[in-house]
Amino acid sequence: MMKKAAQRAIEILESLGVSYGDARAETVMTERMVFRNGRLEQGIVRESAGLGVRAIVGGAWGFGASTGFGLESVDAAARRAFDIAVAASGGTVKRLAPLAPQRGLYRGPLEKDPFSVSSGEKMALLEMVSREAMKDKRIKECYAWLWFENRKRVYASTEGSLTETDLTFSEPFLMATAVSGGDAQSRSLQDGARIAGWEWIEKCDMPGWAERVRDEALEKVLAPESPEGVMDLLLDGIHLSLTMHESVGHPTESDRVLGWESNMAGRSFLDVGDQRSAVYGSHFVNFLADNTLPYGLASWGWDDEGVPGQKWHLVRNGVFQEFGTVRETGPLVGRTYSRGCCRAMDYASFPINRQPNFILEPGPDGVTPEDLLKDIKLGVMIEGRGSFSIDQRRLNFQFGGDRFQLVRNGRIAGPLKKVIYRSQTPRFWGSCDGIADARWLRTMGVLNCGKGEPAQSARMTHGASWARFRNVNVGGGK
Amino acid sequence: MTAKHAVEIAEKAVEAGGTLHSSAFASFNRVASVRFGKNSITQNQDVGSLSVTLTVGDGSRKASVSFEDTSPDSMARAASKARALMEASPPDPEYMPPPEEGQVYPFINDAMDPEAAECPVQRRIEAVRGLIDTADGFGLEAGGICSNLHSVIAHASSTGNLASHERTSVTLSFTMDRGSASSFRQLHHESWGAIPWREASEQVAREALANTDQKDAEPGEYTIIFEPQAVADILPFLAWSMDARRADEGLTVFSGMQGKQVSGARFTLRSDPDGPAKGTPFDSNGVPSGYSVWIRNGTLENLPCDRYWAARTGRQPLFIPDCLEMKGDAGSTRDLILGTKRGILVRRLWYIRFVDQKTLVLTGMTRDGVFMIRDGRTVEPLRDFRWNWRPLELFGRIEALGSAERKSYAFVPPVAVGGVKFPCV
Repeated sequence: MMKKAAQRAIEILESLGVSYGDARAETVMTERMVFRNGRLEQGIVRESAGLGVRAIVGGAWGFGASTGFGLESVDAAARRAFDIAVAASGGTVKRLAPLAPQRGLYRGPLEKDPFSVSSGEKMALLEMVSREAMKDKRIKECYAWLWFENRKRVYASTEGSLTETDLTFSEPFLMATAVSGGDAQSRSLQDGARIAGWEWIEKCDMPGWAERVRDEALEKVLAPESPEGVMDLLLDGIHLSLTMHESVGHPTESDRVLGWESNMAGRSFLDVGDQRSAVYGSHFVNFLADNTLPYGLASWGWDDEGVPGQKWHLVRNGVFQEFGTVRETGPLVGRTYSRGCCRAMDYASFPINRQPNFILEPGPDGVTPEDLLKDIKLGVMIEGRGSFSIDQRRLNFQFGGDRFQLVRNGRIAGPLKKVIYRSQTPRFWGSCDGIADARWLRTMGVLNCGKGEPAQSARMTHGASWARFRNVNVGGGK
Repeated sequence: MTAKHAVEIAEKAVEAGGTLHSSAFASFNRVASVRFGKNSITQNQDVGSLSVTLTVGDGSRKASVSFEDTSPDSMARAASKARALMEASPPDPEYMPPPEEGQVYPFINDAMDPEAAECPVQRRIEAVRGLIDTADGFGLEAGGICSNLHSVIAHASSTGNLASHERTSVTLSFTMDRGSASSFRQLHHESWGAIPWREASEQVAREALANTDQKDAEPGEYTIIFEPQAVADILPFLAWSMDARRADEGLTVFSGMQGKQVSGARFTLRSDPDGPAKGTPFDSNGVPSGYSVWIRNGTLENLPCDRYWAARTGRQPLFIPDCLEMKGDAGSTRDLILGTKRGILVRRLWYIRFVDQKTLVLTGMTRDGVFMIRDGRTVEPLRDFRWNWRPLELFGRIEALGSAERKSYAFVPPVAVGGVKFPCV
């Protein structure tokens, strides 16, 4: 039914004489259970099915969508895409990077279908971890949730592409908040979502994390506040996933560089001419984009305009290489191809330039976090993600974290709370002088990257091993 | 989609629920928008979508299903899934049936304009092309979105409540820039006729050109004048911190503060769904909205509170009905500048996030226009800066307020805040 709907939309667009058109048919099934303080606060299943149609007519895009795959609504969506493109026609000619017709089926990795696990078993797990996390009376709030989604897509284009995708996403989450001495502090399990099944939930060990979030939230609420001054940082992969997302992923999106996001998400401090020349960080810093990473949330086989998932360096040996692009922006930033970064939130959203999965490549074999720690005279170790903010050009940032430990003379000297640090993007990555090896690589699957107008959320995975940064401004913000 | 049709869908969903308690919330949105960047149209769409959420309950457990296909078979299938999830759920110690029959829902005047409900494409194209032409004429680049929404929501419950609401909105949000010089405007109303895009486009172009050659401000103490847009940017973070239960549990800055002074005497925050910032008459559970004062003259008067916690603590169930008003005074931003000897004008705030929820510390950046004020005049543009502020303390040092104006969901004045230390980190 999905294939027929997509193909029918393409036939209509062809009959109307569009210069380009594509259609995405999609079905989505979601299950979400949220426990607050051991009580099921929300249990919901969601079903969605529909078709999004994009057309270029007279140099203008048009986009329409239909709920369901009924002939009448499919026809109406294709017709609407055509009509509103005509209304806006007469602008700049749209030139898309060439693409050979794509065909195939991509299924994301899935060992145990989470929809085959009973709702009762899922709720029992969430009740159990909530109980464990709340064993201490000072834990006043505990959130535990599971979220699963199956998303099937068929993509067809007037250029002859026809691809199918079947992806299952799974996410566990657990957070405890301790209240003591007039303060409240939280700690959480933050590995996020993966393209995977129930096996990801089992791997995350929520019962083990229940004890950790409880004990470490208590440790944090009782800890002294952050020192202030210039000092070193030792940051884990979950923490860095957010710093990378904001200060590397966004400024290397081609649509921002072209000014298409100037009103909302913002521009970038990079220019088109910075490719393969701008110094982004120290020679330790290599950012590898990888939309073929099997469990990565942006690994869809093909993006939303049929471009296959790819692997490339955003930054190599500290030098910026090239932007993440879509078919329309590739030629505008000097490329003859797209990097396959075009994704939409759902069938009813216009696909836009999104971040790929990417990692900070690990350091040489044998480097451990302890090796990095022992050379720090005064610093802070940070695990996990906390407060985050960055200017619209993606230069001036401030980050917090989830767990903090003071480092003095190469040793951990005790817990801290309320730590924030501030820097500027190339200065910060330029201060990186050591990265632990691949054994320490941890990734975080982000489900809610906001961008675009109308606003859309998108998914991608980032990760790193522990990495050390010298002479960063820490503290303040009280 | 009409309100009558949306109610019929919600009623059918309740019927399909087939449990002791069922309630349904149907939401239809048609979003038609033209997006532009670098003086060129980049997106153009017109999308309608309907979503129904059905909640079923048996007196001790409940669960929900959300679906789009409203055919009888699909509804029956969705309801069956909700019942299965409910049956797998543990008993809910906080179970609440839907609100009792006879709820009275406020009528929101002038929430819908028939022309805007048609989402006319030529109106959008005309406004966007006009903006682009203006920017081009000034040697600037324009980016933004012109969006037209038609929304219909309906609620039905097995306890006998029925409600619907229909609204429209037109939003023109745009930036004009050249290098780091920029300015921004968001125009928002229920009707096309109240969107003065021609005047605004010229003003924004001139503001952007005046924002070149930015300097850093000298460290020191300043009066900061926040334009209404900047006030509207920061207020949601106050709203998101306001929850009676979380306050009672010691989790927020408002813990133990109801009835006490939390900010300055010139700070009053309220919601009026039928006020100048149009709100919603009911929430997805069918609870009626109404006029609420949250903070009056700096004293915390009310906190949003769900029905369970309200019953347990003797409060009224309250929620923020998608609108906030901050009480203003008379005069414009220009009048506030005229009365300022040494200050900084801030047009827009960006990427605001919590630094610490318990003490309500926020961080963010300025964006699209910061100016030094000396002796009642803006004298030079300043570079954007990072700030870490406690908004309740900021609003505790209000020196002057202008008259409130509409900024999307908010009705807010320009505000002059004295004694702000710079740098603000």
